[in-house]
Amino acid sequence: MAVSDLAHASKTGVSARGGHVDIARLSVLALVVALSLLPLLAGGFLLYSLSLCFANALAVLSVSMLVRYGGEVSIGHSFFVAFGAYAVAIVEHRLGLSIAASLPLATLLGAAAGFVFAFPSRRLSGIYLAVATMALALALPEILIGFEKFTGGFEGLYIAQDLIPGIPKALQRYYVALAVLGLVCLALAHFRRSAQGLALLMAQAQPRAAEAIGITRSWARVSIFTLSAAVAALAGALTGFASSTVSPNSFTFFSGVFLLVGSVVSLNGLSLPAALVGGAFITLVPTYLAQAGDWVPILYGVALVVVTLVANAGDLRRFLPRGRGR
Amino acid sequence: MSVAGFIRDILPLLWSGLISGCLYGVGALGLVMVFKSSRVVNFSHGNLACLGAFVVYGFSSGSLLSLSWGSAVALALGIAAAIAVMSYALIAPIVFKSDLASTIATLGVGLILQGAVQLVFGADIVNLDLPLPRFSFSLGAIRVSSYDLAVLVVTLAIVGGLFVIIERTKLGVAFRAVSTNPFACEVCGLNLRSVHLFSWLAGAVLGLVAALLIVPTTFLSSTTVPSFMLQAFTAAVVGGFSSLPGAAVGGVLVGIAMNLFSFYVSPEFMNTFLLGVILLTLNFFPNGLLERAIGGRV
Repeated sequence: MAVSDLAHASKTGVSARGGHVDIARLSVLALVVALSLLPLLAGGFLLYSLSLCFANALAVLSVSMLVRYGGEVSIGHSFFVAFGAYAVAIVEHRLGLSIAASLPLATLLGAAAGFVFAFPSRRLSGIYLAVATMALALALPEILIGFEKFTGGFEGLYIAQDLIPGIPKALQRYYVALAVLGLVCLALAHFRRSAQGLALLMAQAQPRAAEAIGITRSWARVSIFTLSAAVAALAGALTGFASSTVSPNSFTFFSGVFLLVGSVVSLNGLSLPAALVGGAFITLVPTYLAQAGDWVPILYGVALVVVTLVANAGDLRRFLPRGRGR
Repeated sequence: MSVAGFIRDILPLLWSGLISGCLYGVGALGLVMVFKSSRVVNFSHGNLACLGAFVVYGFSSGSLLSLSWGSAVALALGIAAAIAVMSYALIAPIVFKSDLASTIATLGVGLILQGAVQLVFGADIVNLDLPLPRFSFSLGAIRVSSYDLAVLVVTLAIVGGLFVIIERTKLGVAFRAVSTNPFACEVCGLNLRSVHLFSWLAGAVLGLVAALLIVPTTFLSSTTVPSFMLQAFTAAVVGGFSSLPGAAVGGVLVGIAMNLFSFYVSPEFMNTFLLGVILLTLNFFPNGLLERAIGGRV
């Protein structure tokens, strides 16, 4: 199993890296400082696209979590992202509350939705979950348009309220997105070393050993999916806040697939730089290649195939002579 | 709603559900064949079928060439088969290593095909009819059209042909063996690759046939056929995802259930309904609705 190999590799990596850890930490710190100072230099459109990058990076992170800890693939995480984004918009429209109230609410609701969704396939292999997430992604536009009363139908809803009144909107979007992304990355680094995180990795790498100490595979599956859906909903809340609007156009079937593309391109990494690479790939490519239009899916498809092959094939030469590998 | 009205409605609903269900079943058979032999869920199934249908349109309508319908279909079958072989070749290095990684790679292939369709044919919505004589007759409350008969005949021929191959030929025996125990097959010197290739080719042909037959009821665009495949996926799940008869029967059940849902409840939430069907089936019948009736046999 490639995924258990990955888990094993990352474990040995942590202990064997030793002296390099500090350099890695320092460079992440430098990245965070650089990103926090960036608004002093840049403005307008760049800040706006970077805020969206951060929100998408978090969404990519939620998919990577699922791959790393659960060994499962989702192409329907756009559902939970949309769930979070619409939660923010609807809370503002109906209750008049800002993102300070709706961000935690969106996260909790996302977790609940993730639990409900993951529960039925808890005992089955990840492939069934992948098929179910495809249905989720295809059902999403229908639901957004169908429940017009709440979601505003085709036109969607606006998100106008500031988090802290008085600070320029562009800066708010930028710093809120950056702060949440940074905090989630820190939390994930902590989770990796926590008993719960190790329990999930163990349930995946050594299901029988895990079962012997009381961690069932189905529990592990449902809980990692719930966590991942919560992070996705959080990312959605940020996306809504950063773009000031939610509409079905931003949540098509392909947005879910693109999140997986971002995750694969970042090698399912859970660190801040990895998440940023994935987020930037799926945010900036369509923005800056807008005139290339139809080439974007082809580019994404090629990226998906190439990265998957290179990451999994290991020594490719082994397969060439007789075309049979096992 | 009166009883007489109910009976008047229900028979045509069941009949048209059966017809479209046959096509969902044919689509699902392609998915299940690929899954049984190589343990990969082929997410490019719908995109490949869509590309094939567009090739038929492009070559027969005059937008690329103006061939006869038959030769356009033959060309499309050739192209679809070539792409199926290429996409299997692409994932061949990792197919034994990780089901999940190979499944992700098929998504990549699907994206490439989707982009190719959009590049060549644009976002147009086109009509692609079957070259059939138009007639219809009544059978009690049911109206049977030439299209319905064509679907039934093609489905029966395809399913029958497939079962003859799988039950009677050497290739079919190999296919059954590989889907039961690949390791033992390899020990016995069976070439797993050729069996995989057979199932991927069969899957491509089944997908294209289903797409060509379903398109006349709606229209052809770069998104309709890939989303039609959700019905095929649902049919496969209802049938247990690794049973061929299950997929065929699952298709018919899904077709009828969808028709009833869209008539009596709402036509706007079809995908949501299918999502519900998938989740309920996975929860209550993880091995398919027909597990007890027909068991796990091929």
